[in-house]
Amino acid sequence: MEVTFVVIDDTISIKEHPLLYTLEDKYKNVEFFLKPEDGLNFITSHLELNMIVLLDIQFSANDIENGHSILKKISEKSELIPVILWSGINETEESFSDFINNNAFGFISKDATIQEAFVLIDKALTFLKTNLDNIIEDWIIQKPEDKDIPVFFTANGLSLSLNQILYEIRNQTYLGKSFSKKLNQLTIHLLLNKLEKLND
Amino acid sequence: MAKTKNDENFLKFNFDVSAFRLLGRELITDRITALFELVKNSYDSNANTVTIEFININPISKESKIIISDDGFGMDYSDIKNRWMVIGTSSKRRERTTPEPYNRIVSGKKGVGRFAVDKLGAKLILKTKKKGTNKLFCLETDWVNYSKIEYSQMSLNFEESKDYFTDIKNRYWLEDGQIDSQGTSLEISGIEEEWSEKDIDRAYKELSKLISPNNDSKLYPFHINIKSEYEKYKDISIKPQIINFASLKFELSFDLKNNTQEILQFKNNQLNKVTVPIRDCGPLKTTIYYFDRLAKDKYKKHFNVEIDGIKIYRDGLITTPFAEYVDTQNEQKDILGLDKRRWSGFFDRLGTRDLLGYIEITDKSNPFIVESTNRQGFVDNKQFYQLKKFVIEQIQQIENFLKNQRNSSRETTKSGLSGASDNIKDLKSDISKIKNSSSPEVKEVLTNIEKNLSKLQGTVNKSINDFNKSEEEKKQIENLLFSLVSLQTFAAMFSHMAKHTIGHIITGAEYFNNNFPNPKLEDRFLKISKKIYSEMMKLRTGVDFMLKYAKSDSDFEEISMKGLIENLFNNIYEDILSKEKIQTELILDKDLILNYNRKAIEDIFDNLISNSIKALKHQTNKKIKCVGIVNKSDLTLTFSDNGSGIDEQDKYRIFDIFFTTTAEDGGAGMGLYMTKTRIETMGGEIEVIENEFKPSGASFKITLPFKK
Repeated sequence: MEVTFVVIDDTISIKEHPLLYTLEDKYKNVEFFLKPEDGLNFITSHLELNMIVLLDIQFSANDIENGHSILKKISEKSELIPVILWSGINETEESFSDFINNNAFGFISKDATIQEAFVLIDKALTFLKTNLDNIIEDWIIQKPEDKDIPVFFTANGLSLSLNQILYEIRNQTYLGKSFSKKLNQLTIHLLLNKLEKLND
Repeated sequence: MAKTKNDENFLKFNFDVSAFRLLGRELITDRITALFELVKNSYDSNANTVTIEFININPISKESKIIISDDGFGMDYSDIKNRWMVIGTSSKRRERTTPEPYNRIVSGKKGVGRFAVDKLGAKLILKTKKKGTNKLFCLETDWVNYSKIEYSQMSLNFEESKDYFTDIKNRYWLEDGQIDSQGTSLEISGIEEEWSEKDIDRAYKELSKLISPNNDSKLYPFHINIKSEYEKYKDISIKPQIINFASLKFELSFDLKNNTQEILQFKNNQLNKVTVPIRDCGPLKTTIYYFDRLAKDKYKKHFNVEIDGIKIYRDGLITTPFAEYVDTQNEQKDILGLDKRRWSGFFDRLGTRDLLGYIEITDKSNPFIVESTNRQGFVDNKQFYQLKKFVIEQIQQIENFLKNQRNSSRETTKSGLSGASDNIKDLKSDISKIKNSSSPEVKEVLTNIEKNLSKLQGTVNKSINDFNKSEEEKKQIENLLFSLVSLQTFAAMFSHMAKHTIGHIITGAEYFNNNFPNPKLEDRFLKISKKIYSEMMKLRTGVDFMLKYAKSDSDFEEISMKGLIENLFNNIYEDILSKEKIQTELILDKDLILNYNRKAIEDIFDNLISNSIKALKHQTNKKIKCVGIVNKSDLTLTFSDNGSGIDEQDKYRIFDIFFTTTAEDGGAGMGLYMTKTRIETMGGEIEVIENEFKPSGASFKITLPFKK
């Protein structure tokens, strides 16, 4: 699975932070944005990518956005992107309730070690790997011949292939969400009626 | 009286059990609130007078009754059917004012008055009449029937078919009446709890708060009477709360024509009224009474109530949040936030227990001051915030005045004490003069007197010592508190910086540990090691600065003014200044070395800089400029920024302690106060001058005297 790390932080020296170097060494793709709007633009225009976001909380007063509002906007766009808050802020002074409400994946303090940070980053990677879209993607990579076979038929006569479904899920469209839900229901139905068996 | 009873006539209430519970039980929490609501209903019907009559209410019997009658415009059949019996379509919500010519602002906004009756007694006979008819409309309601249904509907038994509230019949009939008379009377029986004299006393006191003290000056005054079997309350008209014994009274008015509002200003040891433009919350007619301890005791003893803060009256009637009755005054909500102020309890601050007062607003001039729907407060908008700020500012000025008075009384004590010591000395020398020429008997007495005088002088001297010591201690405590607050701000800044720095260093070392050696990563190793070095340097400066804070307050040293300000601009605040893209400029014609306490001087500029940073938050092309001229015996500094500037109305109070316009950015209103006090202890001055940068910004002129 290929993953892109999106780092949004208004301190330029973060660009040369050893954590970012490590991520680059390991996963190659690290995108750094000084301006929160630019970071948000990148995310919304690359929903087809597997992304993990590292987001600062406090931005300069000149920026309209801050960690709170960016997280809200990402979470409105997609629930599939783990957003990790990475900040030097005093945890006791910050209001965290909206972070929880907007499904922040976790919090890394700016003074954490690489090792400590990776506890959460690894969790985010696992989260991505077990997501339905990535399972579909893996399937397509392994069996490219299945890519364009229609598998999902809608009430108004549309038929979608695995590849199209992947796009719909990653863009969190109505169709994408509806497919995910129905697929889960189908799986439970198959298991309950002993039409399929799941083994580990 | 001839009755035309007709048992066939019934009316049904048009609401369900949950509305009954919600409005009856939860909004009308007790008997006094219930009376309040019913009296407000009378007010809303343009009544001039409402009478509350308690009949046989102690002890309780079948004959116990409460009759509330008014001379308002009354109701007809259609009003009863479509308004009284219906909730949710309150006519009061549609019409903000009562009919001409009274034009009173409708006070009972929720239409909950009828549920108040339930709280007073189980049975109601309502009799009401409009002008121009000769019939009284009468309606009988037995709340017991409703309670029964309420109980059965709230129990979890879904299968049974049940009666609904809307099925209960309320009998009505007509009675003869005078064609010219009008009004409504509520005869409540089925009373469950007795009304002791103390209860009536409480009702009286609470109802007296309902109308503004300027009630009688109004064109259509509103009177409330109480009748009961108690001697004191046999037939009494409720007078607005009388305020007596206050130590200080302040009245602030306004002038709509010139758009000015009076406010209090403490300056040059005097508390004066000055005028400022009327604020967005509209004009506020304000009366504030301050009670010192003695006055408080007198007031409490005389009126048998507590002093309970400042209340808001609209068009002569108390606003709802202040009208909610609470059993004990400690539970009274602090709607204006007087007791919530930061550092409450320190520095002689006043709270709701020291102040009484009323702010009078009108619906017309203050349309945005609106009670919130839950009746517990006001809609939290800009205008209400301004009103709160206005009240707190006035109190702060009074606090400053009182503090000053206390200080000067301390001075008097001190000079009195040393005067006494001198007097004793004089007495002693007088005695020694006559001692030798007096008889042995007198001599013996005089020797005794001399001995006692010496003892007395010892006591007086000790008192002077103690007094000085306690003054010194007080100053030390204040100083300590100031440095604590400034330390707090610094600590927050420092730890933020340290977290970033440590993060860089720790992960840098870790990266080396994980990857070294690796020729491919050579470039990174180089960058990281440079970074570790520069971050370490940053940390070192921060620690040095922190250490200075830890230093004792009394150390004096040679300080280069230029170096000190440069250090703040280029090192200490460098991070935040560059992050906020603030340009700084320092022009000093020559350097000046002062022998003073470094922290005190640092505090001055520290606070000015952080103040400017806050003011520059939303500006573009941000600038801070400091220009100094060394004169013969003083240093004159101009400190300017092109930030949001200081409001005209705030100009002379920005140095007041706890005055802040940046509370949301963590401003505690200590910064400029500390700057000013630090400068004043150095014998200097600070003032706001015309801003150097146009169109916006602020400039301070600081004068620091020195001896060569």
